Amino acid sequence: MELFNLGIRSIFIDNMIFAYFLGMCSFLAVSKKVSTAIGLGAAVIFVLTVTVPVNWLLNEYVLKEGALTWVSADLASIDLTFLRFIMFIAIIAAMVQLVEMVVEKFAPALYGALGIFLPLIAVNCAILGGSLFMAQRDYTIAESAVYGFGSGTGFCLAIVALAAIREKLKYSAVPNGLKGLGITMLLTGLMGIAFMSFMGIDL
Amino acid sequence: MSAETVEKAIEKKPAEELLSKRRKKLVTDPLVDDNPITIQVLGICSALAVTTQMKPTLVMAISVIFVVVMSNLVISLMRNTIPSRVRIIVQLAVVATLVTLVSEVLRAFAYDMYKELSVFIGLIITNCIVMGRLEAFALGNKPYDSVLDGFGSALGYSWIILTVAFFRELLGSGSVFGLPIYDTISGLFGPDFKLATNGLMVSPVGAFVILGLIIWVQRTKTGYVEH
Amino acid sequence: MQQSNAYIITFSVILTVVLGLLLSGTSQVLGPLQREAEALDKKKQILGAVISGEEISAMSPQEVNDYYTNRISSIVVDINGKEVSEQGGVAVTAETVDIAKNYKKPADQRLYPVFIYHAEGNADQVESYIFPLYGAGLWDAIWGFIALDTDMNTVGGITLAHAGETPGLGARITEPGVQARYVGKTIFDESGDLVAVEMQKGEGKDYSSQPHQIDGMSGATITGKGVNSMLKDYLGHYEAYIESKKSGAVAAL
Repeated sequence: MELFNLGIRSIFIDNMIFAYFLGMCSFLAVSKKVSTAIGLGAAVIFVLTVTVPVNWLLNEYVLKEGALTWVSADLASIDLTFLRFIMFIAIIAAMVQLVEMVVEKFAPALYGALGIFLPLIAVNCAILGGSLFMAQRDYTIAESAVYGFGSGTGFCLAIVALAAIREKLKYSAVPNGLKGLGITMLLTGLMGIAFMSFMGIDL
Repeated sequence: MSAETVEKAIEKKPAEELLSKRRKKLVTDPLVDDNPITIQVLGICSALAVTTQMKPTLVMAISVIFVVVMSNLVISLMRNTIPSRVRIIVQLAVVATLVTLVSEVLRAFAYDMYKELSVFIGLIITNCIVMGRLEAFALGNKPYDSVLDGFGSALGYSWIILTVAFFRELLGSGSVFGLPIYDTISGLFGPDFKLATNGLMVSPVGAFVILGLIIWVQRTKTGYVEH
Repeated sequence: MQQSNAYIITFSVILTVVLGLLLSGTSQVLGPLQREAEALDKKKQILGAVISGEEISAMSPQEVNDYYTNRISSIVVDINGKEVSEQGGVAVTAETVDIAKNYKKPADQRLYPVFIYHAEGNADQVESYIFPLYGAGLWDAIWGFIALDTDMNTVGGITLAHAGETPGLGARITEPGVQARYVGKTIFDESGDLVAVEMQKGEGKDYSSQPHQIDGMSGATITGKGVNSMLKDYLGHYEAYIESKKSGAVAAL
């Protein structure tokens, strides 16, 4: 039940885009067509679901203060938290590479659809943000898996919805200065207001 | 590589003055005409979340300036030794190290700020401006030029987020840099006079709307139209 | 240009070593300063329950440390109100107990620090008892410290903090105006049962005649509920200790 709550919350309430502005770059750049937006969204779900638990293991057994106790009791006082950023980003880059190779080998069709998005994702703020929030909030392994999946789904939902709106937007007369980025920002704001209605949900 | 040819062309000239026209352009271009946020659509990610108030935004801006300038310098110094096959991960490692330095320094000397900015300092790593400048400029240009280029881009980014923060703090909390502007104004008109703050401004929505409006104003002025 | 694998590996190794050394060096140098900053921050929070935030921010770090040393003594108790001096062979002090980490354990296994605010230099002349609080708000953790007068019933002051409540709504729990509403309220009802102090829904009503109720924050009902259950939970965990002090105080009279 707790896990279900966390999942719902990370999709709707703590939405990566509307609550934390994470992954905005690709959100704005890859939201012109619904089909590509679905591709990127799926890739983000995939990578977040994999990297958050992997980084959890890394954090729990290597980086956290006293995390090395399982190697030897003498290492209990070692605190490697200062390596967190560099290790997380390295794991993310490596995982993305790995996922790319595995997908290419075993699911060429999926690779065709996701392929071009995977390299982009290594530097997507939402991915690193997911891992950093996981570490900050002290999630358990199950929670971090659910959180990774949930926040990825939230991102996917947001980007697909925006792309659908932008496809329709082509037929509207937007003032010159607002074309493109400007109107997209205002749109995102309005979508954010819509998502705020989820805030009242008492979980 | 086109960047390399640019460099050769520059080398042919006799010693260029320290702040030549071309170099000034490196700094001033990203401020308005080629602003990383409003024109290039980069680096919007992590920064907007801290713009509810001016103070953390200023710290964020300074941190980003430091990271962009330093990483541009380091990568530019190493540009001829970095193996091209692993260059992305090398860049990430350098940037992550610099960001860790910023975060450690803040934690030691400005603990309140460290708490307030929390994960958003770490997210400078994935700020597209940093990686963008490294890929597009520092890998192919001399250190001094790269530093200027990084400084210009970071400055262009900083003034935008500071403007957003100014309006969000003023309209949302009725203050600027923590100084209670609204209270002072309403104090002039007697006890019953009150200026209402707008709660929407402190929520993320406020940031989107304000940024959208800034982009509108700026693009109307520069005449830039996106197709 | 395509480099050989050997070159790439050598380059990576050198880079890793250099960056690693740089980072661990920084962490070594700044580590003590960081721990000091953290300890100072905690002291400021504890003192926030008994003196106003403005006074604290006007103090220099040295003054905060001195004030804390002169005016606060501390012990650690367990759920039964018994003093604890060591756990698993390691000595415990109230200042080093991590409330957030203890919150994850079952209530009867947690360590409960108590900070005693006393007259300057005289640890026997107690002015109030300060207890930590920890719980969940709307989005994320909320925490704080509450000071009880020596009757162990009247709230002397409270300080609240949060990790991510909605700015302008739930985040208002950090405002002095909101926290001042708690002062003078009592946590036990007439029959001696713990009822704590409850923030009500809605804002702008007068609760000055109600000993256990305070005005709420409009638009932040869930954060208010979180604060209520946090107060009730933690005062409940300290109930054994509070009762022991209460009967002691009566006996002393």
